[in-house]
Amino acid sequence: MAMSTPNTTVVLRLPLSASRGRVWLVSGLTMLVALGGLISCWLNPDIAAPLRPGLDFTGGTQIQLERDCGESCRDLKSIAVSSIVQSLSLPVEEDDPVPNLRSARVQLLDGGQSLVQRVPTLTAAQGQALIAAVEPIAGPFVAGGQSVDTIGPSLGRQLLRSTLISLVVAFSGIALYISFRYDGRYAFLALVALAHDVLIVSGVFAWLGLLMQLEVDSLFAVALLTIAGYSVNDTVVVFDRIRERARDGAGLGLSEQVDQAVSATLTRTLYTSGTTLLPLLALIFFGGATLYWFAIALALGVVVGSWSSIALAPSLLTLWEPRAEV
Amino acid sequence: MARYQGWFAFVLALAIAAGMFLIRTPLQLGLDLRGGSQLTVQVQPAGDVKVVGDREMEAVKAVLDRRVNGLGVAESTLQTVGTDQLVLQLPGEQDPTAAARVLGDTALLEFRAQREGTEAEFRSLRQLQSQARAILQLRKDQRRRGETPDELNLEDLKDVQESLGLNADGASDDELLQALLDQADDELLTLLNPAQLTGKQLVTAGRQPLQNNPNSWEVTLNFDAEGAEAFADLTQSIAGSDRLLAITLDNKLISAASVGPQFKSAGISGGAATISGNFDAETARELEVKLRGGSLPLPVEVVEVRTIGPTLGAENIRRSLMAALSGLALVAVFMVVAYRLPGAVAVAALSLYALFNLSVYALIPVTLTLPGIAGFILSIGMAVDANVLIFERIKDELRRGNTLIRSIDTGFSEAFSSILDGHLTTLISCAALFFLGTGLVKGFAATLGIGVLLSLFTALTCTRTLLRFLMGYAGLRRPTYFIAQGQRPSTIP
Repeated sequence: MAMSTPNTTVVLRLPLSASRGRVWLVSGLTMLVALGGLISCWLNPDIAAPLRPGLDFTGGTQIQLERDCGESCRDLKSIAVSSIVQSLSLPVEEDDPVPNLRSARVQLLDGGQSLVQRVPTLTAAQGQALIAAVEPIAGPFVAGGQSVDTIGPSLGRQLLRSTLISLVVAFSGIALYISFRYDGRYAFLALVALAHDVLIVSGVFAWLGLLMQLEVDSLFAVALLTIAGYSVNDTVVVFDRIRERARDGAGLGLSEQVDQAVSATLTRTLYTSGTTLLPLLALIFFGGATLYWFAIALALGVVVGSWSSIALAPSLLTLWEPRAEV
Repeated sequence: MARYQGWFAFVLALAIAAGMFLIRTPLQLGLDLRGGSQLTVQVQPAGDVKVVGDREMEAVKAVLDRRVNGLGVAESTLQTVGTDQLVLQLPGEQDPTAAARVLGDTALLEFRAQREGTEAEFRSLRQLQSQARAILQLRKDQRRRGETPDELNLEDLKDVQESLGLNADGASDDELLQALLDQADDELLTLLNPAQLTGKQLVTAGRQPLQNNPNSWEVTLNFDAEGAEAFADLTQSIAGSDRLLAITLDNKLISAASVGPQFKSAGISGGAATISGNFDAETARELEVKLRGGSLPLPVEVVEVRTIGPTLGAENIRRSLMAALSGLALVAVFMVVAYRLPGAVAVAALSLYALFNLSVYALIPVTLTLPGIAGFILSIGMAVDANVLIFERIKDELRRGNTLIRSIDTGFSEAFSSILDGHLTTLISCAALFFLGTGLVKGFAATLGIGVLLSLFTALTCTRTLLRFLMGYAGLRRPTYFIAQGQRPSTIP
């Protein structure tokens, strides 16, 4: 053992309470931008909802085709495909109304390797006719590499309702548990942090919906649920440390307790976000089209969730500090 | 120390058992991973039934169950979702239209004898139908090959149309043929006597290949006592004549059979009968399914159809697996770099965690879908978090100058309360999402919930057991295996 080794530690420190004003400013502004995205989406007559709803919520048919490219994919413009689809006349069956294909949307994924078309509800035969029509310019397609989803509009509303109900129940349960183990302030702040995280991620997707026509599907709902769970878990660990400080840090003011607790858990929070981000980044870069936006939503949630648990929730806690001590 | 050897043996035994179980029991993959069709049908109130309740759902499900089994798709499942929906999964089935037809029919099955004196008309109508069907099929095949279907000879058709009283000006060729088929269907029905026997009296239907020709099939019928009597009467009335016994489903002729002269005296008695003639395995199966289906007590509507090709599913598996594994490999490297010996122990414990997780999926069984895999990857994130919390505490203790073993024990007990709180809050939301959510949300909550429970176990038991077991070896009891040299108070050796 080298006696001369200085007795310093590399524990990260964060003088949080000194800069709490800046923390609130950053979170406040980000939330405002997010809220702006949601409101703009709502005001946009094309969308008329806080987020651009995908097929899962509006109903319709989605046809995904994998192109058989061989060495390299033939150049394909989505506009060329959509013009074919929009001018297509479909076989009509029985008394069903003819689907209006003017609203058909075509997207290329995976560098043009797969083709996604969203159209109003089609019958199986109409779907086959559509595939046959685009095959000359976009084909050949991989046999067995296609997926056709048709969803009735009532299903999306149900999904939304059941998800919202279960969320409210889940949050109430969490709030009860935290009030029981800590106290009401902590429960309230955990929910504030959670709302902050969910709002910001939703806002980003609202902007993506406005700027890139990105639609949210039921996987996005799953992502929001996960972010909510992650956010609470992350915040609770920091709260646990604050409570511990409050117990044995006799004589320290609340701000001091919070600062010490946040510094003590900082390494852990950064490591944990890092290790959770690693598989998500792998999913984003190598996971393929299906989980791409799902992974992006989650990664965003992890980053925002770490911020809210390190900075936002603890700094809000100092609001309860008696005025005299500030 | 003996205490930790015992625990170590227990963990080892558990791991071996889980491994063995996993090898024997394959994981169930969802349709998004292996391809197939999924249909959601909604049961609609009708007639006296204003609200669809449990009893109605039970009845509809029983009928649909029978029909679905008749489809012969291996491992198909039919589940009730919510209060009025049923979800049918058909792994590997790429053509959901067949299933949709079977599910959608509000079948009214009737057995009817042909009216006297209609032999010639009946025969010519059926011939017309089979020709029209053949032409329609041919045109469909041509179109699929990218050819333009041949022009129809409209002159020929005109005669037929006139005889059927059809006016089809301006319709396309296909529409014309379809109209012809429908019209012939209606005409055929007028040639039948009213029903004396319905699907209610049919107990079972089956099919079997003919003894002398295995490529040809017959469909078997079994009636209850009342039905047997009616069937005997019905068959006696037309036995030995050119008239046929017609089977109609929802007022559409699905089959017609002649009755041999040997049944002239008493009809086909005993309540059992076979229908044979021109059935191959496929058409026999289809008729059997229709017969077995019986009547749905309430109409149903198909509200969702999802079909995923098998290669798309395989590609999804491969990619997600690759992504998950590479992500986890990075996490493993990170843990060893950041925490040294305990980091390596954590990697071992996390591998056990993954193994236990997968074997629980096989045990319950959990159907793995894409969101499920995402839930799994995320629960690994939580399991890592528990280890990080513990190791940070151990480092804290070492920095304070505590001895190694003391630091390890204190680290675990100090981290316990935040691990418990974090895991329990997640578990609470998993429970809510599982019991109140539907579809994707439910599957996600299930995998995440299982992950959280197991993570509690592995972090608090496996990591600890392995670490304490290794501490039994003097060579490993070095603080520098736990924390960088410079971070410890130098006064402590």
